Amino acid sequence: MGEPVRPADRPSGARAVRVLLTDPVLPVAALGIAVIAAVLHAPVLTWAITGGLAGYSLSGSV
Amino acid sequence: MFTCGLLAGGVLTAGVLWLLSGLFAPLPAVVRQGLIVAVVLLAALRDAGKLSLRLPQNARQIPQDVLRRHLARGALQFGFELGTGVRTYVSASAPYAIAVAVLLSGGSYAPALAVGLGFGAGRALTPALRRLSGDGERWDDLLTARLSGMTVVCSVLIAAAALTVRQ
Repeated sequence: MGEPVRPADRPSGARAVRVLLTDPVLPVAALGIAVIAAVLHAPVLTWAITGGLAGYSLSGSV
Repeated sequence: MFTCGLLAGGVLTAGVLWLLSGLFAPLPAVVRQGLIVAVVLLAALRDAGKLSLRLPQNARQIPQDVLRRHLARGALQFGFELGTGVRTYVSASAPYAIAVAVLLSGGSYAPALAVGLGFGAGRALTPALRRLSGDGERWDDLLTARLSGMTVVCSVLIAAAALTVRQ
């Protein structure tokens, strides 16, 4: 999943933080943690998060 | 406007599925739950490349001239069409799995509404993150490199939720 991309252009400093915080994988990780947290206690929230995962899985498709 | 359109489109499709879910109400809950689990597992297998299965999709792109006619209205329409999930390509199996889950789960409208809003918000994440990254081309490269893995993880997480959640 983590294939290196243009290593010559690897950013540093504040830009590196920005790149990290906007990484395409980040929403999957965040939604994954959220769905695990919600699944036992908040059924409606679980539906919303799984909907979000389904929507985000269509990234790159317009 | 684009995000409003995405949310409205997601809610519309989820609402239609929720209305149709009444047709499956006579099935026992345990059968419906079993079917949901089977479909989400098949979706995960399909995204992992372990199962070759053609699914129906509207194999077209939304025409770009939608945005040229009127920027705000065009963005709303473009978002709405994307949000419905039935007006353009569907490149992953997770939307099918979640659609079947809404169709078979029945009950209150709240889960369907939540799915619709979540789906629209999930679709909105892609352009939002791309814009926030400050380097769209690099972000596209990252997405291309990671997309297949992300798609599988999304399907697996949905399958895990379906296996864990109780009706």
